[in-house]
Amino acid sequence: MNKEQNSIPTSKVERSAKFVKTGFKVGGNYIKHYSKKLFNPELDRTELNEDNAADIYQSLSELKGSALKVAQMLSMDKNLLPKAYVDKFTQSQYNAPPLSGPLIVQTFKKYFGKSPEQIYDKFNIRSSNAASIGQVHQAELNGKKLAVKIQYPGVGDSISSDLKLVKPFAFRLLGMSEKELDVYMREVEERLLEETDYELEVRRSIEFSTACAKLDNVVFPTYYPELSGRRIITMDWLEGKHLREFLATNPSQEIRNQIGQALWDFYNYQQHELRAVHADPHPGNFMITAENKLGVIDFGCIKEMPDDFYYPFFSLTASNLLENKEETIKAFRKLEMIWKTDTPEQVEFYYNFYREMIILFAKPYMSSEFDFGPTDFFDQLYAVGEKLSKMPEFKTARGVKHFIYVNRTNFGLYNILHELQAKVKTDTYRPHVVDHIEMDVA
Amino acid sequence: MATTESIQKAYIDYVLTEGEQPKSVYLFAKKNKMPEEEFYRYFGSFDAIEQFIWADLAKRTLTEIRSQEVWGQYSAREKALSFFYAFFELLKGSRSFAVYSVKKQPKGFTTPVIFSELKTVFENFADEILTEGIESSELSDRKFFSKRYKDALWIQFGFVLHFWINDNSAGFEKTDEAIEKGVNVTFDLFQRSPIDNLFEYGKFLAQHGGLKETMGFGN
Repeated sequence: MNKEQNSIPTSKVERSAKFVKTGFKVGGNYIKHYSKKLFNPELDRTELNEDNAADIYQSLSELKGSALKVAQMLSMDKNLLPKAYVDKFTQSQYNAPPLSGPLIVQTFKKYFGKSPEQIYDKFNIRSSNAASIGQVHQAELNGKKLAVKIQYPGVGDSISSDLKLVKPFAFRLLGMSEKELDVYMREVEERLLEETDYELEVRRSIEFSTACAKLDNVVFPTYYPELSGRRIITMDWLEGKHLREFLATNPSQEIRNQIGQALWDFYNYQQHELRAVHADPHPGNFMITAENKLGVIDFGCIKEMPDDFYYPFFSLTASNLLENKEETIKAFRKLEMIWKTDTPEQVEFYYNFYREMIILFAKPYMSSEFDFGPTDFFDQLYAVGEKLSKMPEFKTARGVKHFIYVNRTNFGLYNILHELQAKVKTDTYRPHVVDHIEMDVA
Repeated sequence: MATTESIQKAYIDYVLTEGEQPKSVYLFAKKNKMPEEEFYRYFGSFDAIEQFIWADLAKRTLTEIRSQEVWGQYSAREKALSFFYAFFELLKGSRSFAVYSVKKQPKGFTTPVIFSELKTVFENFADEILTEGIESSELSDRKFFSKRYKDALWIQFGFVLHFWINDNSAGFEKTDEAIEKGVNVTFDLFQRSPIDNLFEYGKFLAQHGGLKETMGFGN
């Protein structure tokens, strides 16, 4: 985690780390903004102690909205952050100070013209948990237990202004030009703003849960569009345990594999069959039901993958393409990991480096089964990231914007599977690959 | 035959169309085809109409929030929040009038005459919930200060009102945020806080052994 770590396209690990860093700057900025004395930007990150982590978490959870989202992203990519932060940030997935009861009543009046108790048979005015840009309440209607998600007011506005706040800070710390950074910032802003559109989320939730209904051991709540609106979503209440609570019960290897398999299938079915993926794989978005099925409860963040990203990227992970140097370089060019302006030596250099990383990242895809339990695979990933962070060649940003969320998704998935210590069949939904990369005439 | 409502309605219509109060009650009565004394049967002046409208909004707000099922479970803090939200929700229906009425008031620290009745209603309500809060020890009972809590709330109310007048966010979401944050901060101050402890500690030191000696530089 040092300052040289500057290049988005370098590896999955590296890109996640980058995103973590950007996210971290958001956090840093907030703290600077709200309590200047807490944070010294000159200070080496590894030297920040537990106290600082607590303060940062405190500020973030008070701010809610996009800041909490950032905290969630951070807590996902463990090991990339010192443990003190991870522990503190992980709390944010489950706890944040709640909205007042009267504001909830007000939100209902505004969007439905009725109070919650007029809409539901029962409505618990005290929230049961926070959902990053909103909070969840338990309700009951016609004997059915429901989960009602309510968005904090003004979240959309604050996302845009939060990101504006981050920008100048990010230029300096990432050493990127405004133009380079803008592409990535816009991508993040777009996804975050989509998450505030609850009407869109309900449509997508219904769409995705229908499309994924045939997957084994994956369950979705029913959504109620007539009881949902711009700031409110009503869905079935899924009974179950969060990942951490589930792991605390010491589940058998068989059960862990079953959950892991469900996760793998859920993500890879979306990536390779639907070409659009639930891009928020943090543990708070899943529930493990009493029948040991995977419950998916949040479709706020969806990343769609266009063909001109999908084919070059996933062909690298699963075909003979990687053995064909010419085609591999074409794929790297297409993904903007190698530039037209690179000298032959640079091309050779980046080719070798990226190739090594892709081989590592694609390891689970290369065989029909993969055990995410052992740490050595993860150690290797982090080691590459660490090495990369010290190389001056990776100072500038490389790679198309789609990497941000696709990496976050896959890296997040690997992390959860590791946490589950699961062994999964990785050939259930394989990537669609091509042997030959079409180049645009440009 | 004129009624309170019909005079209010005609008055609002007049000020919103003309952008100012009628020149005289005589002209206003004539325009609305009623004898001048008919007007005085209901209101003493034009300002009295505005006074009535503002106070009426507050009374209607109270009736509404008190009829909500959750009302009984609310803490003093939540009751205050509930009043603020419901009031501004109701006020939305008369926004043009509210903007006109507030904007023509001279800037200053005294309460404009058109708000005097509203202030009474508001303060009665504030007194009621604050007493309740102090009794349940939700709020801290401080000598001298707890009597002033309601003034803090009234200032908060004036602040939110002006905020709302200038708010142009969709659905006045910013006002919701201003209420949530503002009222919560105000109530945080009403609660027992480190300041109380500090004050009591100071008192303790002053009573026992003298402050100077205790602090080590008493010679």
